[in-house]
Amino acid sequence: MQHPAFEEVSFHHHTDDDTFYKKVKKTTILLSIITVIELAIGLIIYNIHKGESPNELLVLMFKGMVCILTLAKAYYIVSVFMHLGDEIRNMVMTIVVPLLLFIWFITAFIWDGNSYRNLRNNYDKHFQETTTPAKGHGHQDKHQDPPAGKQ
Amino acid sequence: MATTAQVHQTKWWSGGKSPFNLEYGKLMMWYFLMSDAFTFGAFLISYGTIRFSQNFWPDPNVVFNAFPGAGHANLPLAFVSVMTFILIISSVTMVLAVHAGHKNDKAGVVKWLGWTIVGGAAFLGCQAWEWHHLITGEHAVLVDGQIDLIGQTMRANPWGSLVPHESVAAALQKTPHETLVALAHQSNHALSHEQLAAMTDQQLVNTINIDALHVRSKGPVAFGGYFYGITGFHGFHVFSGVVINIVMLKMTQNNVFQNRGHYLMIEKAGLYWHFVDLVWVFVFLCFYLI
Amino acid sequence: MSETSTIHTGAVHAVHHGDHGHGHHEQSFISKYIFSMDHKTIGKQFLITGIVWAIVGGLFSVLFRLQLGFPDQTFPILETFFGHWAKGGQIQPEFYYGLVTIHGTVLVFFVLTAGLSGTFANLLIPLQIGARDMASPFMNMLSYWFFFLASVVMMSSIFVHTGPASGGWTMYPPLSALRQAGDGQKIGTDLWLIAMALFIVSSLLGGLNYISTILNMRTKGMSMTRLPLPIWAMFFTAVLGVLSFPVLLSGAILLIFDRNLGTSFYLSDIVINGEILPNEGGSAILYQHLFWFLGHPEVYIILLPAMGMVSEILSVNARKPIFGYMAMLGSMFAIAILAFLVWAHHMFVTGLNPFLGSVFVLLTLLIAVPSAIKVFNWLTTLWRGNIRFTPAALFAIGFVSLFISGGLTGIFLGNSTIDIHLHDTMFVVAHFHIVMGVASFFGMFAGVYHWFPKMFGRYMNNTLGYIHFWVTMAGAYLIFWPMHYQGLAGMPRRYLDKRGWVSFNQFTDLDKMITVVSIIVFAVQLMFVFNFFYSIYKGRRVMTQNPWGANSLEWTTPINPGHGNWEGEIPEVHRWPYDYGKDGREFIPQTEPVGANESKH
Repeated sequence: MQHPAFEEVSFHHHTDDDTFYKKVKKTTILLSIITVIELAIGLIIYNIHKGESPNELLVLMFKGMVCILTLAKAYYIVSVFMHLGDEIRNMVMTIVVPLLLFIWFITAFIWDGNSYRNLRNNYDKHFQETTTPAKGHGHQDKHQDPPAGKQ
Repeated sequence: MATTAQVHQTKWWSGGKSPFNLEYGKLMMWYFLMSDAFTFGAFLISYGTIRFSQNFWPDPNVVFNAFPGAGHANLPLAFVSVMTFILIISSVTMVLAVHAGHKNDKAGVVKWLGWTIVGGAAFLGCQAWEWHHLITGEHAVLVDGQIDLIGQTMRANPWGSLVPHESVAAALQKTPHETLVALAHQSNHALSHEQLAAMTDQQLVNTINIDALHVRSKGPVAFGGYFYGITGFHGFHVFSGVVINIVMLKMTQNNVFQNRGHYLMIEKAGLYWHFVDLVWVFVFLCFYLI
Repeated sequence: MSETSTIHTGAVHAVHHGDHGHGHHEQSFISKYIFSMDHKTIGKQFLITGIVWAIVGGLFSVLFRLQLGFPDQTFPILETFFGHWAKGGQIQPEFYYGLVTIHGTVLVFFVLTAGLSGTFANLLIPLQIGARDMASPFMNMLSYWFFFLASVVMMSSIFVHTGPASGGWTMYPPLSALRQAGDGQKIGTDLWLIAMALFIVSSLLGGLNYISTILNMRTKGMSMTRLPLPIWAMFFTAVLGVLSFPVLLSGAILLIFDRNLGTSFYLSDIVINGEILPNEGGSAILYQHLFWFLGHPEVYIILLPAMGMVSEILSVNARKPIFGYMAMLGSMFAIAILAFLVWAHHMFVTGLNPFLGSVFVLLTLLIAVPSAIKVFNWLTTLWRGNIRFTPAALFAIGFVSLFISGGLTGIFLGNSTIDIHLHDTMFVVAHFHIVMGVASFFGMFAGVYHWFPKMFGRYMNNTLGYIHFWVTMAGAYLIFWPMHYQGLAGMPRRYLDKRGWVSFNQFTDLDKMITVVSIIVFAVQLMFVFNFFYSIYKGRRVMTQNPWGANSLEWTTPINPGHGNWEGEIPEVHRWPYDYGKDGREFIPQTEPVGANESKH
């Protein structure tokens, strides 16, 4: 079947209404649930930080979980809403494979950012003293109510 | 889907046809979005790099805790979750508009595209409120031994670590009159601004409840730059998406696509719109959650 | 160009996508030559704009070479032309830095990116894959006009009172982020950033078009492995551009913010003219990361099209199949991937984490493998061929020579320990000029000489072509080879005046020689430009459809193809494009069906 307007397109996808609406509904609910979980984790992190000595490892674990959930959300948006999941496999690969570059992109940048901090903490004591939060009344909020603010 | 067999039988790469069974416009849109993903990726990765090069970074739950009309209530993440849901729902309405386009259903396209535009505009409104709130906020910050009231701007960050009470008490003694009046006003709503202004510095200091007063040191300036830069760039994408959608709506109403026989333009606009939603998922992650 | 207009075939068949097909109608001068949507015209527009920029960039290099070669002498004529920039006939420091900066920017981006891949991707992609035009001719036109706009902005920056950007072509902050740092950091840098942003838009529009055209618009039978190598090269080039230019855009946007909105992305702890700046927390290294994430792929954006065209031209003129077609594809693919993984080898001495640096050393040295594969393939293509030494073939062979010489010094620089000594010396200048600058220019020259008959229906003058080749070849080595020795001796690049160092006095005469040679080479390039424009109007006319006896599809079009390229149906393709000297036949065009008794290649 030739597409009416583009001769390079060999045939057309057809999805029946029922499957389509079911799929969209399912995805919407899924995205909402993931977002709610993410928010819940955000609040958990907030409460951990309020404690006397926050467990950094626990915080890191929760942050890792949010990252994974975000990737899941991205997957559903791209695959269902943008219909990439319905495309030919090779097309999917041309999108997914270049994104792998982000792995080294992120790793190298963050690695060097971290190293820059270590270098300055080692060789720029002023930087270290003025920017490191003092222990005891560090960056954790011990108070329930918000900082003074004007609406 | 009678097409599965066809997919396997067709010699996709032998020329004379699209190897991906996609018209060139959609292909271009996909690769444009890929390229845009690298623009946003570079911004977010830069943000991560700077954040990793700092010893201290503000906790997003402390920064983003306001809600329109909720006064001083501490509602971390509440408003941004509203924004997130607006964008997700507008993505869903866009999916429905594209689907209506597949069926050459003009009324459906108009309806769902209309809702998508509403969603986009609502999101932009939320963002405008949030920016306004952050920029005009007055937060007590310890600067050079005295207390200063500053908002979150590109040049200043009021979200450093909390200053211990002893230092606050000492700093209050050196703080200028106007600032003391403002601070007293925040903790004591019974007295009018004029009444407070008439008081002496020492009286003002006595009015201020030090336990409720959260004074912070200055935070990393880059926070504001990245927040406004990246959410602004995203907001610009939302804005251009809304404009594109409005153009599509007008074209639909003028029967442009009806006469053309297909609604492929709506699909391309849809891809762009979903991408805007996709980027927000990551902005949400990087600025509000972790 | 007059011939292209008279022999307008008008046989533009319903263009591949019906929703904006062109009927046959008389085109006005404006829609035919200025706002043209014909890929061939757009290619020529890119080429001619590129030539203008190459003259500007080349002239700038002659000017600063005058300063480097003859720092004691005055040239009153310079003051006549440049006023206070060359007070007393001597190039002033601000002017020198402006010249160096604009020379680098213009040649890297405007000449060797837009002028090279803009020209040949536009010209060759539709012609060699068998398409009537680009997928979106309109976006293609926009791509040129954004480039033109970028050119206007960049050109105007040369004429502003405080002078053009002078922070080096890499535009590193904090220097480039602070207006108070110098005249060149004022409006000139703003214009530079705007021009680059426009340039990125142009390259994006072009790149997206190239990719979707190559994927979607190939004629029947033109499978990916039957594509001529220039097309593969353009494809990888476009992919590199689409994925890396946006990162430069991000970096440039952040720099614009730092310059204009008081943010601290790249700035921290700065005292300038006794003033303490409030900026803190930024990282100048971050800009370098962002810049080189584009910057390194950029050198392959420059080099790959040249590689592809050289492969084609060598095979056609050696009358032999290209050696290792699949290995060529594989190595180009490997280069394209590695291009994204090695950027920080430009930053070994910036304070980059040394361990991270060692990872980048490893990845960098890996590039030697695909590069070597390509070199051996070119050499084996030439081996025992019946080489026709046309100017195009000579430039292609020259490319291989330069690529080897320049590539070898890359191995020195890719090692972080050796780089500590060589960084920012003339050694680096020598390395990248040979391997990326001159080599790509050779690819471009080869392409111009080879496809000139297709572009204008006439030949370029051969004698001038030979003079052009031999002088440029000898000149390139005479200019850049000695710079290796200067660099090894520690002579820094970018310095205005090195007379203060006794250790560099030994190079005074060498520098004079380099300057003299560069003036000669520049003059010979002007001769090439003359040859180019003269031949457009007065060159020997092309009388046959296929003057080089080549296999690829562009030589099946009429001598002066109209918009739409083929008069009848687009030909179908039955074989790869490199059947030269096969079964006793000199060449077998791609359109010829495979015979029953034909041997396998």
